Amino acid sequence: MSGRMSRKRRRLIAVLAGLACLGGAVALVLTALNDNLTFFVAPSEIATKAPAPGRSFRIGGLVEGGSVSRTRVDGKPAASFRVTDGPGSVSVTYVGILPDLFREGQGVVAMGTLRPDGVFAASEVLAKHDETYMPKEVADALKKSGQWKPGS
Amino acid sequence: MAITLHRFANPGQFLRLSGRILPYLAVAGVVLTLVGLGWGLFFAPADYQQGDAVRIIYIHVPAAWLASGGYFGLALCSLLSLVWRHPLADLAAVEIGPVGAGCTALCLATGSLWGRPMWGTWWVWDARLTSMLVLLFLYLGHIALVRAFDSPERGYRAGAILALIGVVDLPVIKFSVEWWNTLHQPASIKFTSAPTVFSGMLWPLLISILGFSLGFAAIVVARLRAAVMERRTRGLLLARAQEAA
Amino acid sequence: MTHLPFILASYGLAAAMILAFALSAWRRAGLAKRRLAAVDPRGRDA
Repeated sequence: MSGRMSRKRRRLIAVLAGLACLGGAVALVLTALNDNLTFFVAPSEIATKAPAPGRSFRIGGLVEGGSVSRTRVDGKPAASFRVTDGPGSVSVTYVGILPDLFREGQGVVAMGTLRPDGVFAASEVLAKHDETYMPKEVADALKKSGQWKPGS
Repeated sequence: MAITLHRFANPGQFLRLSGRILPYLAVAGVVLTLVGLGWGLFFAPADYQQGDAVRIIYIHVPAAWLASGGYFGLALCSLLSLVWRHPLADLAAVEIGPVGAGCTALCLATGSLWGRPMWGTWWVWDARLTSMLVLLFLYLGHIALVRAFDSPERGYRAGAILALIGVVDLPVIKFSVEWWNTLHQPASIKFTSAPTVFSGMLWPLLISILGFSLGFAAIVVARLRAAVMERRTRGLLLARAQEAA
Repeated sequence: MTHLPFILASYGLAAAMILAFALSAWRRAGLAKRRLAAVDPRGRDA
C-alpha cells in the first residue's frame, strides 16, 4: 500500500518539477524576447525602441482628432495623420486604402519606416479595435451625457 | 477473467452514468447554442464601430474559450494518466484532442474573417494570434503522437508528456494581450472588473459560450463512450482468441 | 447587414464543424455499441 502511494507521489512530484522547470525556462525566454514579441511601439517609445534608420517597424496609438487629411497621390487614395499615445506623437503618411475601422480617436497600427525628417512613412495601416462593444444608440447616449471615454 | 472484470469496472460505471447524462447534455447544448447564435445573429444590436461584423464574436469567443478550456481538460487527463494511471484518462485525452483542435481552427478562421474587414488584414504575427496558432499545433502534435506507436500505452504516455509541456501556452495566450502590445484587443469579459460589452450583446454571448461548452462536453462524452466500448470489444475478442488457442 | 459574406462564412463554418463532429460521434457510438453487443450479448450497461 505505502509502496504504491509513494510511487504515485514520486510521479506527481516529477511531473510538477518538470512543469516548474519548463515554466521557468519559458518565462525567461519570453522576458528575453520581450521587445521582439511586442507587435508595435508607441510614439513616445520611438526614441528608445525604434530600430536603425531604414529598418521597418510598427507604431501604434490613437489617431489624433482633427489630424487626418486625405489626398490623392498618383491617382491613388492617400492620407496623412498624427498617431499619439498621450506623451508622444508622430506624423504618418500613407498611400493606400485605409481599413473600415480607421477613425479619428481610434487605435491604429502602422508598418513602415521613420524618415530622416521624423515623419513615419507607412506601407501598411491596420485599425486596432478596443475591447468595448456597444450599439450606436448607447454610444450616442454616452457621448451626449458626457460619460464617453475614448478607447485606449 | 477476474482481472479483466476489475480493469473494466471503472469504465463500466462510466458507461452507465454517461449514458444517463448524455441526452440532457446534448439537448441543453443544442438548445442553448441555437438560442445564443440566433439571438446574436438576428436580435442583438450591431456595434457602433464594427457594424454587423460584431456578430462573428458569438462564434469566435466560444470557440476561443473551448480551444483553451479543452486543452486544459486534455492536460488534466494527461496528469491523471501519468501520475495515477486512471484507466479512462488516456482515452479521454485522445478523444478531446480532435474536438479541441477543431475549436482552435474555428477560432482562428472566424478571427481571420473578422480581422479582414475590421483590422484590414487576415492575419498578423502578433503575440495573441501566434500563441493561438501554437495551440493548434500542440493539438495536432498530440493527435499525431498518440497514434504514432504500435503499443497504445506508449502513445498515451508520449501524448500526455507533450500535452503537459504545452500547458505553458495557455497563460501566454491569456495574458499576451496584457504583457505585450498586440493588434488583438484585450479581454472584454474579466473576473476582476465589469465587462465592457453592452448587455444586449453580452447575454447572447454568454448563452452561446454555455451552449458551445455543453455541446463540446456532449461530443467528447459520446466519443469517449464509443472509445470505451471499442476497447472492451477488442479486449473480449482478444480473450476469446487466446482461449481458443 | 454589413459585412454579410464574412458573417455567413463564419456561421457556415461553425455549423459545418459542429454537425460533422456531432454526426461522427453519434455514428461511432452506435457502431461501437452494436459491435460490443455482437461480441458480448450480456453487456447490458452500454
